[in-house]
Amino acid sequence: MNLILFTFIVLLGFTSYYFGRRKAYTIQSTNKRLTALPQFYGYYLAIWCAIPAFIIFSLWAIFEPTIVKLLILSDYSNQGYLDDELNLIYEKTKALSRGQFTGEITPFIEASAEKYLSLRSIAQSSKAVIVLSIIIASVAYAYKKISSNSKTREPVEKFLKAVLFTASLAAILTTVGIVFSLIFQTIDFFKVIPLFDFVFGTHWYPAKAFVRDSSEALDPTMYSDTFGAVPIFAGTFFIAFIAMCVAIPIGLMSGIYLAEYASVKVRQYAKPLIEILAGIPTVVYGFFAALTVGPFLKEIGNSMGLDVSAESALAAGGVMGIMIIPFISSLSDDVITSVPQSLRDGSYAMGATKSETIKKVIFPAALPGIVGSILLGVSRAIGETMIVVMASGLAANLTLNPLESTSTITAQIVVILIGDQAFGDPKTQAAFALGMSLFLVTLCLNIVALRVVKKYREKYE
Amino acid sequence: MKKNGVKMIKINSKNVDVFYGKKQALFNINLDIEENQVTALIGPSGCGKSTFLRCLNRMNDVIDICRVKGQIIINDFDINDKSCDVVRLREKIGMVFQKPNPFPKTIYENISYGPTIHGMAQSKNEMDEIVETSLKKAALWEEVKDRLHEPGTGLSGGQQQRLCIARAISVKPEVILMDEPCSALDPIATAQIEELIDELKKDHTIIIVTHSMAQAARVSQNTGFFHLGELIEHGSTDKIFKNPENKKTQDYITGRFG
Repeated sequence: MNLILFTFIVLLGFTSYYFGRRKAYTIQSTNKRLTALPQFYGYYLAIWCAIPAFIIFSLWAIFEPTIVKLLILSDYSNQGYLDDELNLIYEKTKALSRGQFTGEITPFIEASAEKYLSLRSIAQSSKAVIVLSIIIASVAYAYKKISSNSKTREPVEKFLKAVLFTASLAAILTTVGIVFSLIFQTIDFFKVIPLFDFVFGTHWYPAKAFVRDSSEALDPTMYSDTFGAVPIFAGTFFIAFIAMCVAIPIGLMSGIYLAEYASVKVRQYAKPLIEILAGIPTVVYGFFAALTVGPFLKEIGNSMGLDVSAESALAAGGVMGIMIIPFISSLSDDVITSVPQSLRDGSYAMGATKSETIKKVIFPAALPGIVGSILLGVSRAIGETMIVVMASGLAANLTLNPLESTSTITAQIVVILIGDQAFGDPKTQAAFALGMSLFLVTLCLNIVALRVVKKYREKYE
Repeated sequence: MKKNGVKMIKINSKNVDVFYGKKQALFNINLDIEENQVTALIGPSGCGKSTFLRCLNRMNDVIDICRVKGQIIINDFDINDKSCDVVRLREKIGMVFQKPNPFPKTIYENISYGPTIHGMAQSKNEMDEIVETSLKKAALWEEVKDRLHEPGTGLSGGQQQRLCIARAISVKPEVILMDEPCSALDPIATAQIEELIDELKKDHTIIIVTHSMAQAARVSQNTGFFHLGELIEHGSTDKIFKNPENKKTQDYITGRFG
């Protein structure tokens, strides 16, 4: 029903565009000069169709459920039900009307369900009638109003601006919403687990929280020594560090090669090839790390008499580094290429060699962008999940030995949230606390990055 | 400059052809440049005068598809020979570009760049001295002496161009190539640069590409006129401007085309 109505409105929109443009052509044919191109007249009418439709649809979406609920529950008023019970009745009614109700059906509820269905169908048809009539009225009004000197261009431009603004607003509001949900859950978590224990505790063993019988009263002391986040923070930074040790030199050097040394032909093929690395799903890197690199390192280590875990930080970090190479190389290549040729010429004309020019002129000029690309790589390394889940083990060891297994924030969030979980349980909320700290870490990283870039920027214009 | 009545030839180019890919940009150029004189290269856009200029310090090497044929002899040495060390060559032959292109570094670092590369200063004091004399010779010292450690890109256009000239002379080149050095500058800055060029020719041989006939007449002693990749006529500036032999030269100078 809604879909048909929507299609109809879209068709109406196209029709009004057509009529608007046709009217503009008609005006033009009488040798009058228009204030805007004929398309603008068309868009103008289409907007007169779209805005009322949007307003009515939103109002309907907001008020219809409330009104229907009021009407249904008015039958039960004065019978001494509590609010919760009324809500339950309403939910039962809705379920029954959808045919999804499995409990005992009372005649009361059956009657309500029928009433619900009829109310809904009345609402739907009245919506269709109201929407269509208002649209037609508004389009007709606008159609009559437009003339050779009416302003159509400005409203159209304003409308576009408003649409774009709404889109960016949606993105921003979503971010804010996510942050807030993180904050509230995190606060709940820290009501049970002291912040101090979380930040400085060296023992992370959330599975212990499972041991509790849900009927038991919540006893904070039983969680002591369970949610100490130090090992997983250490693991996160350690693996990210290993990854960057791989990614920064290789990525940067290949970026410099592509930008400065490679011939046009080589660059043409090499750059897309490197960028393919970025297109490989991280889960593929994950099993590459877990099934190929991990055992390989173990074998090499064993042959040298070292004790290497099959799931080692080195394997996960190394593969993660390979995953990050294309980000750094591609971005730094772009940044280096955008350094003006005049600076290179200036340096070459002084008798500088290629490597001197790169080291002393191009690299400093490109530094802000390069730092930016590295920090982007770091935040990817810290936020990367799949590779560490698969290849670095899930036990949160506090270790700096790259050959042992360790775990990261992201991997622990996965561990916590797969399988059954209860909301309001500290174990579940721990995931939010971890997510929050991850967010804070990346935020700080970005702020530092911006500061660094601002301070050391060498402007070349 | 005349020695015993004979003009000293600094640069001697023989049968120079330049190709960009398959397209030939310069045809058989034979041009001698006199020492400690200003030689102006004039001609309409795309005539090859900048290409020729870039041959003289092998800047065309930077362009992948560019090939240079023929001999360019500087100090009895063919710079197109395989044994030529481009780094040494460019130390001897400096260049100033059309658009001021100071490095995004401090004024001091802009000047010390060349001497550092060529290992010309043994101590900080020596470097300070090179920076000071270069800036003084470029007539910029008084304006920037109190802010040597501020970015060179913060200077005005004319100051930036003089900074680039100071950068070029910091390595004491024998020849300075200037590729339309005033085209991005206002008349006052242009006048300052022209005055500077006159000053610099005492110690350096200068070749300047310019679109301004008036500028060529003001600053140069010799002029070469290029048209469609060929050197049409060259000789003393006086003669080229007052009594050109070739009709094309006359047409160009009197503003009939170009």
